[in-house]
Amino acid sequence: MVVQKKSKKAAENINARLALVMKSGKYFLGYKQTLKTLRQGKAKLVIIANNTPPLRKSEIEYYAMLAKTGVHHYNGNNIELGTACGKYFRVCTLSITDPGDSDIIRSMPSGDPTQQAS
Amino acid sequence: MGKFMKSGKVVLVLHGRYAGRKAIIIKNHDDGTQDKPYGHCLVAGIDRYPRKVTRKMGKKKIKDRSKMKAFMKVMNYNHLMPTRYSVDINFEKSVVNKDAFRDPALKNKARRDIKGKFEERYKTGKNKWFFQKLRF
Repeated sequence: MVVQKKSKKAAENINARLALVMKSGKYFLGYKQTLKTLRQGKAKLVIIANNTPPLRKSEIEYYAMLAKTGVHHYNGNNIELGTACGKYFRVCTLSITDPGDSDIIRSMPSGDPTQQAS
Repeated sequence: MGKFMKSGKVVLVLHGRYAGRKAIIIKNHDDGTQDKPYGHCLVAGIDRYPRKVTRKMGKKKIKDRSKMKAFMKVMNYNHLMPTRYSVDINFEKSVVNKDAFRDPALKNKARRDIKGKFEERYKTGKNKWFFQKLRF
C-alpha cells in the first residue's frame, strides 16, 4: 500500500517538474533531437515514454550511458508524456538541456549510468 | 553529460555500402563545416574482415587469412552507432585526412596506411572485438 501511494505522488511530482522545465528551461522533444543533444553532451536528463519500441529504448539508454546522462522512464505512454509537456502531440523521448528553475535533475535521476557497470 | 564522439572511438556504420562494419573515428567535426553543416567525422574501418585462424594452420596460411581490406569515409553522425570500445591507433595525420578524397592516388595511399596499421594491431592480438565481424 505504501508503494501505491508513492507511485501516484511520484507521477504528480515529475509532471509538475516537467511543467516547470517547459516554462523556464530548455528542452528538446523527439528522438532525433535527443540523440543530437546526447552526442553533443548537452543533455542533462533524458525522459522516455513507456511505449517506445524496446530497440529504440535500449539505443537511447546506451547513448545516455556513453554520455553519462541520466535516463528517466516516464510512467505513461507517449500521449501522456506529450500532455505532460503541454503539447498537443505525442512525445516518446525528450531531453532536458537546461532545467531552468526546476529541480528535476537533482531529484529524478533514478538510474545514474556511471554508478552501474563501468 | 560528456561528449563521447571522439577520435579513437569504435563506431558501427549503419548506412551505406559499409553498413554493418566497424570503424574508428579519426577526426570528428561536431559542429560541421561550411560544406557539411552537420556533425560528421572521418572514420577508418574494416571492409573485409580477416578470416578465422586456427592453431593447425601453417604460417603461410595464417598470413594469407590475416589480411584485411580497409576503408576510409567521411560520415554523418546520424549514420553511425557509437560503442563503448575504443582503439588507440596513431594514423599519420598527413596521409589520412579529409584532403585524401580529392585524388584517388592519395586515397589509395591513405587506405594502404590504414590497412598496414590495422594488420599490425591485429597481429598483436589486442582489440580483438574490433577485428571480429559483427554478427547480425
